[in-house]
Amino acid sequence: MLLPEFDIDESRWSGVAEAPAPGRQLAVAQALRALLPADCVLSRDEELHPYECDGLAVFRQQPMLVVLPRTETEVRAVLLACRRLEVPVVARGAGTGLSGGAMPHAAGVVLSLARFDRILQIDPAARIARVQPGVRNLAVSEAAAAYGLFYAPDPSSQIACTIGGNVAENSGGVHCLKYGLTLHNVLGLRGCTIDGEPIELGGCALDAPGLDLLALSIGSEGLLLVVTEVILKLLPKPELAQVVMASFDDVGKAGEAVAAIIAAGIIPSGLEMMDRKATAAVEPFVRAGYDLAAEAILLAESDGTPDEVADEVRAMERVLQANGATAIAVSASEAERLRFWSGRKNAFPAAGRISPDYYCMDGTIPRNRLGHMLKAIERMEHKYGLKCMNVFHAGDGNLHPLILFDANRSGEWERADRFGADILELCVQLGGTITGEHGVGVEKLNSMCVQFSPAERAAFFSVKRAFDPPGLLNPGKCIPTLARCAEYGRMHVRHGQLPHPDLPRF
Amino acid sequence: METRLADWIKGTTQGDSANDILRACVHCGFCNATCPTYQLLGDELDGPRGRIYQIKQVLEGTPATRNTQLHLDRCLTCRACETTCPSGVDYGHLVDIGRAVVESQVRRPLNERLLHWLLREVLTRRGLFGGALRIGRALRFALPRALHAGLGEHRAPGAWPRRTHARKVLLLNGCTQPALAPSIDAATARVLDAIGVQALVDARSGCCGAIRHHLHDQRGALQNARRNIDAWWPQLDSGAVEAIVINASGCTTMVREYAWLLREDPAYAARARRVSDATRDLAQFLGPQLPLLLRCVRPASITRIALQNPCTLQHGLKLKHDVEQLLSALGAQLLPVDEPHLCCGSAGTYSLLQPKLALELRARKLAHLLHAQPQMILSANIGCLLHLAAGTAVALRHWIEWIDELIVTS
Amino acid sequence: MDSALQELRHQVLQAHSASTPLRLRGAGTKDFYGERCEGTLLDMRGYFGVVDYEPSELVITARCGTSLSELEGLLAQHRQFLAFEPPAFGGDPTIGGVIAAGLSGPRRFQAGAARDFVLGAVLLCAQGELLHFGGKVIKNVAGFDLSRLLCGSLGILGAITEVSLKVLPLPRLEQTLQFEMAASEALALFNRWAGQPLPISATAWYDGHAWLRLSGAPPALRTACERLGGELLDAEAASRFWRSLRDQTHPFFGHASTLWRLSLPSTAPQIAGSGSQLIEWGGALRWCASDQPAADMRQRAGAAGGTALHWRGGTAGGRFHSLSPVVLEIHRRLKSRFDPHGIFNPGRLIADL
Repeated sequence: MLLPEFDIDESRWSGVAEAPAPGRQLAVAQALRALLPADCVLSRDEELHPYECDGLAVFRQQPMLVVLPRTETEVRAVLLACRRLEVPVVARGAGTGLSGGAMPHAAGVVLSLARFDRILQIDPAARIARVQPGVRNLAVSEAAAAYGLFYAPDPSSQIACTIGGNVAENSGGVHCLKYGLTLHNVLGLRGCTIDGEPIELGGCALDAPGLDLLALSIGSEGLLLVVTEVILKLLPKPELAQVVMASFDDVGKAGEAVAAIIAAGIIPSGLEMMDRKATAAVEPFVRAGYDLAAEAILLAESDGTPDEVADEVRAMERVLQANGATAIAVSASEAERLRFWSGRKNAFPAAGRISPDYYCMDGTIPRNRLGHMLKAIERMEHKYGLKCMNVFHAGDGNLHPLILFDANRSGEWERADRFGADILELCVQLGGTITGEHGVGVEKLNSMCVQFSPAERAAFFSVKRAFDPPGLLNPGKCIPTLARCAEYGRMHVRHGQLPHPDLPRF
Repeated sequence: METRLADWIKGTTQGDSANDILRACVHCGFCNATCPTYQLLGDELDGPRGRIYQIKQVLEGTPATRNTQLHLDRCLTCRACETTCPSGVDYGHLVDIGRAVVESQVRRPLNERLLHWLLREVLTRRGLFGGALRIGRALRFALPRALHAGLGEHRAPGAWPRRTHARKVLLLNGCTQPALAPSIDAATARVLDAIGVQALVDARSGCCGAIRHHLHDQRGALQNARRNIDAWWPQLDSGAVEAIVINASGCTTMVREYAWLLREDPAYAARARRVSDATRDLAQFLGPQLPLLLRCVRPASITRIALQNPCTLQHGLKLKHDVEQLLSALGAQLLPVDEPHLCCGSAGTYSLLQPKLALELRARKLAHLLHAQPQMILSANIGCLLHLAAGTAVALRHWIEWIDELIVTS
Repeated sequence: MDSALQELRHQVLQAHSASTPLRLRGAGTKDFYGERCEGTLLDMRGYFGVVDYEPSELVITARCGTSLSELEGLLAQHRQFLAFEPPAFGGDPTIGGVIAAGLSGPRRFQAGAARDFVLGAVLLCAQGELLHFGGKVIKNVAGFDLSRLLCGSLGILGAITEVSLKVLPLPRLEQTLQFEMAASEALALFNRWAGQPLPISATAWYDGHAWLRLSGAPPALRTACERLGGELLDAEAASRFWRSLRDQTHPFFGHASTLWRLSLPSTAPQIAGSGSQLIEWGGALRWCASDQPAADMRQRAGAAGGTALHWRGGTAGGRFHSLSPVVLEIHRRLKSRFDPHGIFNPGRLIADL
């Protein structure tokens, strides 16, 4: 056997929707009620139902139970009980995820960490914040502001999403081009293994001995451990930040302008693009002052000392002009800067104003393929008969096409789903990836078959087994099984070559 | 969001309204971030998104339970979620519809029904409430502490202006406020008088209906609304008054709702719309009159002020900065207050019905208000004033009373 | 398949079937680093070359045997660089070795560590498969982050045959300020400055002197220099100085017979018995030429919230700080799954693994 084995419990993996055996719910509920206060275990249908999905509401599954512990001791007790009773555990933060990563398991427990909402410590001298996983992303920066510090990753959902969820997904945001992802801004984690053992990875020092299990845990989508505390790196707040907003009469030109900025040696703190459909959707709500006549707008932020910003803004204006910007505006005040961003940050839900449902994609491609991708998406709009508005983290090639559909109309979701899969497959063909920051969850399992070979997926399962031998943490997410990929029937693609000709056949 | 409403509600006015609102929700969860009860309880069931889901479930045919009712009861209806929602979900109206349906399906235990009835009948009747209040204040020592909140301190109202002006507005002939703090209406009349506006009160009008509305007495609330419309209509229709000006933001919000509440009533729909359109919160009315106001005030002596912006003002009426701008222009130094979007826990009768959560929210709000050591806390709603006053020794006033102090009588 | 890669694969398969250990090695610049390791040499230098480099994408992909000098030379032509400043230790390491060791230079303080710049890696696993993890794009969360797990793994999970790294534009200007001050004062100042929006890209303290390197746009550096004071160092001398820290050619590293590398919270007070010291990374990295017993050093570093690595000298005991039992157990399971016959660098990262 040349391939590492797919050493998992296939039924638990594929049985996300299979109801528990009769009497099972009562037995597990009783076991958990013995460990937690009464208001911490939910078991009635009407209580479980609202937990059936996260921010991606097309994937739904009512859990067997929901637990809402308040302390690490309670989390450990729940994990121990679940391990003993062999109950799958799905950890959940604010439930804002967009890949169904927190979608429950029918025979499992949802472990909500929403009550872990305390900022335990802000140490301005060491520039760190020690927080519980249920703390909202934005709350960290708000608390750090008093010391002139901030927490850099700022996903669009930062008002609501939790740090624990950010760790699970390795969330990015509009400023990660310069400041990095969650991975780059988390110094340490404390959590529990499925065995209820406390585990600490990283810490307040920069290096830790052994393998970098901290890096491995960040973005592991709740499959490896349950996080109960996070040490975050805080950065000094730049003295000034300004946003240059440029309009383009062609989306391709805007894409070229992005490459030109980078090629000029400028790393803007944020570099975002929205197409006309996106600006039209958000403008009525945020009144950001977007140019509604432009086919695309670029938002490029510069931060630093006032002199530095002035310098960089001038340089960016020059590049943008040279690349065909039809209009350029520079934020004149902090309020205006925030207003420019607010449209971008509210772009996803604002899609709810022009369409009952939207499906947000998250592929990443090399920046220079942006124009190619956009043209392809336009063709797909016709193919599937659905509209798609486009929002990008242009600076790092991360696309968020929002496919608009109406779930109440039969067949529309299925078309949206295929539309999305097509986009992701093209991302892989262009040398990119199926998810830049939202995670695989339950949503992109099929696309994982396209991006990774069976041996690579087996390696993922090896990691899973090393942390979680019984396979109880968030089973059925993130990594597809051999059977699932066989059923999906699409081939593994590598950079436009079908399928990996660089490997000898054996 | 996908919806499959049950046949019994599909196609009805309520059903269609609910369906439109539900469809706008994309389940993003931003609302939970600013929901006071979600902050306290950390349970999806106690945040707007979860409540929307619970309502959806009932409207899709799953019978409501006491549990559903509990989580809807815990909602303060502060509508902070609406301010946060990027998809424009009209949560306030959805929760009204949901509560009515749940109320019709689930019978409350006797003690709850009695309490609701008592609050509805006493609070909304000025004579009855005034009497009870006097007795309560006299016997304060004998009452449980939880009830002290509602009592407040009596302050002399001062003289009602006697001048007449060509410009006239109608004030609400309120229910609890005139009994609890008659100084607020008097101060309002005096400030208006100073800028050449005469304040009228129509004796036939009364409680705006918010109390009954929130205590699940929809019929009673609509009766209150119709009575007020009848009372105000002649003066409004003839153009004798330029606006209905209300100095309790909770009541302003309710009167602005008459148009929606009576939209299906052929006899009242058109007039209700006119009344709602003509209704202004006092801050909204005074804002444009600032130049006139600046001519008749002296410099303030109490300047370090913490402003509590009632939810009805900032979320219900979307008047986020109006009072702030007015006070700053008149010389107030407004101190920074954390979590300004969070409800203080008063929320109409909420503080009496959900005392535990209300007190937790009050403590949180007061900590923020007192953080920068203000000389005085100002609010824009009688409910918030009384609720907060019971938790601090720092002076609490309606902002109009602060302005009233500055007026130089000519 | 490239013949050099074929050859590597052949050797791995053979070792796997015979369960004979392999000692993975590039240019051998870090032979001193890690625990003792025995095995047949697997020379990674034969598989080399830059595979893909598009400057406007800020990504470079190179085979494991590519020399650091070649890679950095190519980047420099486009005014870009590896911002984690991998140490060369006076030689010319391979990029595979750089990533397998995961060590970073002075700029780690501001730019991040080697692992922060890893975007993707190809692993030749024990079964002879080439496994692609990560990719060539900056944001990528598909599957577990195995490419970063490989960074610093010292080859115990398999042979890294190719890496994709994020690169950055060279700073437009660099200036170095020198101050005279005691270590404790330097620690306090480093931490205070790090909390302010200053363009500091490296710090060092040694023998009564502190150095600050500023990197960025000329206007920002002008303002910072005015604010910070100190003596401006000649550019040539400054560059030599930082290079000597990065590559450990600075006299401090030559003198010490036994050398400890303490990774501590930057605000940790001075460690007792740390002997002659060189401090980097704003206080988070402290090189100590100390003869204190190993157990004492580890205990003190641990008590301060960090770890102690026995970098050089001494004989008894392991070099790395020990792992907690639960973390060690995960290491064991990972190793046994990726390398069931224990052929890759046995013992190099953890004594009996």
